[in-house]
Amino acid sequence: MTIVDTRMKHGNASDGLLGGRLARVDGPAKITGAADYAMEYFPEGMVYAVIIDSTIASGRVVALDTAAAEACPGVLLVLTPDNALPIRTATGWMGEPPPPVPYDPLAREITFAGQHIAAVIAETFEQATAAAALVKATYEETTPISSFDDPRSGEGNPVDMMTMEWGDAEAALVTAPVQIEQEYRTPREYNVPIEPHGLIAHWEGDMLTLWEPSQWIDGMSRAYAEWFGIPFENVRMRSPYIGGGFGSKAFPTRYGAVAAIAAKMLDRPVKLAVTRPQTFTAFGGRPATRQTIALGATREGKLLSIVHKGANETSMNDVVVEPLGSVTSIMYATPNFSSRQNIVPVNTVKPGPLRAPGENPSAFGIECAIDELAYEVGIDPLDIRLLNYAEEDPHAKKPWSTRRLREAYAAGAEAFGWAKRSPGVRSMREGRQLVGYGVAAGTYPVRRTPGEAMVRILSNGTIEVASSSIDMGQGTYTILAQTAAEAIGVPVETVVVKLGDSSLPRAPVAGGSQLANLMTGAVHKAALAARDELIGLAINDPNSPFRDLQANTLTIEGGQISSPRDTGSALGIAEVMRRTGRERIEALRNTLPEELQDEKERFRNYTTISTMLSPTEGDYSLHSWCVHFVEVRVDADFGTVRVARMVSALDSGRLYNPKLAESQWKGGIIMGIGQALLEEGLVDPRNGHVMNNNLGDYLVPTNADIPDLQVISVGVPDTHASVLGGKAVGELAIVGVGPAIANAVYHATGIRVRDLPITLEKLI
Amino acid sequence: MTNQITINLDINGKTHALAVEPRVTLLDALREHLELTGTKKGCDQGQCGACTVHVDGRRVLSCLTLAVQAEGRSVTTIEGLSAPGADLHSVQSAFLEHDAFQCGYCTPGQIMSAVACIREGHAGSDEEIREYMSGNLCRCGAYPHIVEAVREAAKVMS
Repeated sequence: MTIVDTRMKHGNASDGLLGGRLARVDGPAKITGAADYAMEYFPEGMVYAVIIDSTIASGRVVALDTAAAEACPGVLLVLTPDNALPIRTATGWMGEPPPPVPYDPLAREITFAGQHIAAVIAETFEQATAAAALVKATYEETTPISSFDDPRSGEGNPVDMMTMEWGDAEAALVTAPVQIEQEYRTPREYNVPIEPHGLIAHWEGDMLTLWEPSQWIDGMSRAYAEWFGIPFENVRMRSPYIGGGFGSKAFPTRYGAVAAIAAKMLDRPVKLAVTRPQTFTAFGGRPATRQTIALGATREGKLLSIVHKGANETSMNDVVVEPLGSVTSIMYATPNFSSRQNIVPVNTVKPGPLRAPGENPSAFGIECAIDELAYEVGIDPLDIRLLNYAEEDPHAKKPWSTRRLREAYAAGAEAFGWAKRSPGVRSMREGRQLVGYGVAAGTYPVRRTPGEAMVRILSNGTIEVASSSIDMGQGTYTILAQTAAEAIGVPVETVVVKLGDSSLPRAPVAGGSQLANLMTGAVHKAALAARDELIGLAINDPNSPFRDLQANTLTIEGGQISSPRDTGSALGIAEVMRRTGRERIEALRNTLPEELQDEKERFRNYTTISTMLSPTEGDYSLHSWCVHFVEVRVDADFGTVRVARMVSALDSGRLYNPKLAESQWKGGIIMGIGQALLEEGLVDPRNGHVMNNNLGDYLVPTNADIPDLQVISVGVPDTHASVLGGKAVGELAIVGVGPAIANAVYHATGIRVRDLPITLEKLI
Repeated sequence: MTNQITINLDINGKTHALAVEPRVTLLDALREHLELTGTKKGCDQGQCGACTVHVDGRRVLSCLTLAVQAEGRSVTTIEGLSAPGADLHSVQSAFLEHDAFQCGYCTPGQIMSAVACIREGHAGSDEEIREYMSGNLCRCGAYPHIVEAVREAAKVMS
């Protein structure tokens, strides 16, 4: 179902306006089980595919014995590289043209454990699962490089475009009165949305329908079209609800190609859901990172130099960069700075984006390092942040559009009671519990891509908003309804929002925390255009009761059209549509600049990320900001860490719906608590397997791990950042949580843990 | 293994006759055979709680229950918690009011768990709610709002 049931409960009429605390309009569907996620469709004749993965991390498949599987009841096809329909390689996400070679979603050459090597398609899920267990692979195995801790992985390859330098950082460091240097590490971390990945692929002639959870319908549809050499318009992707993504559902996948190939070969709709263990290797999470940070400072704690060197794991054949200098380079003012980064190829699946790629581990490094400097020079960790406050972007040398970080420090410290902190480590205690207070800041850039939206006014007065953008829980359905309601002047209940369908107007990726800002901008523009047309109709149509008023304009409020001079004349929109005989008013608008308006450029804008503007494009540097204050309790005997309470103050600019934005912030903070204390992909050094590839062993936070969280908005509308004044929300709040907790643990225990997660064996 | 058996399942007060292989789980019977997709598959190995349903009023992981085991018992899923068109169950209303979900995928399981948690008498304090709701993972991180919703619904239900 793509049309959202708008039966909703909310406080008052103002909740329906932009900035109101309207409950999710897609909420009723989600709490009754009526929301149909992508893999919950039942096309006639659907069969089931199960993917088979390599059990080695390096080498090649020399033989696949499929006889036993093929003999199983219900089995329709055992797909291998030998019999798979060949497909082409698709354009990359940056728009780079594909090499003229076939794309092989099933591998013969193995570069990581868990690589897809075959698939079984059968009449039922149970038959396919049982038969898949009977496919026997014979390998020629070579010794894998399991991680970047394997000495054979070396130092990796420098990524020159990540180098940032000003002043003379090395020289300033060695002459600085105070110098500290440490290494900070984060392990492989996984997205773990509760809805596992997968799809239903259905061919009708050369038309391909895909029901697939997607953060980027247009980008993924393009890949399917190019793989099979069919026009983009022949691909229909539907993704009305998405059970979480956090970066992992934005890109085309190999299993997606496998399902579409099988569906074509069998001429049957194929459903392929990867298993929970496969979600650890069918696509990548955040790569493991390490970074060395050297700080040079005065004895008073004023920074003189930052020297930063980072590295992240990548897969054997791909360049994946987790930008470790992204926060290091902008958080604090320093006259001298240097940052370099390497990537280290290892036998892993290609890493992918996970909530705040780059900013998240970057902040772990610099926000722990600045805390260490505070203790080194003997000043308060909050004071050292204010002492080194960056009044402008130190890297881009541009003014911030808005940076309400100072206000965040003040509001957060006040609400938390930071002043009650006793400065010494191990100086606060309650019974057997060591108590620690920690603070750390975070930031996330404002990324900008143009968008597109259709707004329709229907004859019954319903307002329809349509876009191929998506809602995976951020609240897109809701804030777009609020945007249209406010722009046109109708009650929000009369707005129906359709999303998640490639047949609707185009949208760029729901990633980089950009979607809310770009889509509210596009919907606002389209809604105003529709409103103008409606008013024009009411003024000019011979059958309109307003024609005789000779008015220049009319007002629309609460769905009633009236003359500003004669409010007694008010008529409902449906009545005006009826009297003028109009079926509908339609406005399709985009926010593309002039140079991107032609069809080719428009297509590029929505199907690649090559038109996305960086946060420093233009006169200002655009970022969201936050600070987290944490109290931890560490058991003095057992080393167990509990987060007792947290206060976070955040600057995301204007909030379109504070109720939903607060939920996203808290969600990011909770994921950050997991990152700090629980989450770690454990790789077997002997064979490169991710050993804890399930939710019982890869621990994510449970309800019992999470205390009350207080979030405070300190943002103000920032119209340099976006048309309606919002900045980034979704990825902001996770940034800085890890270091805030690590800093609190240090304050509690005197033990500085520089490699996440902070597990008990590191504290006893 | 092709031998199918016919079972009768009482789901949300309605009897469904179903021909399935004995190895079909209650979860797959609901989702793939009866198209009752409100019950979600998150891990298929008893670790996430997204598939929680009530069997004879008790919360059960339907991914770890064979469909045949549910024969002769009364199964309630999210679709049966409140009649279509009727008022929402007080737990459902509280989830909406407190924004106790984002993507919504774990939500049916959370709600089924919450109803049972309150009935079991395990909603006496926030701490108790957190503990007894910890079998249901939420990756969007709606936990504090889930606690608020369960606390409020418990008041209404008592």
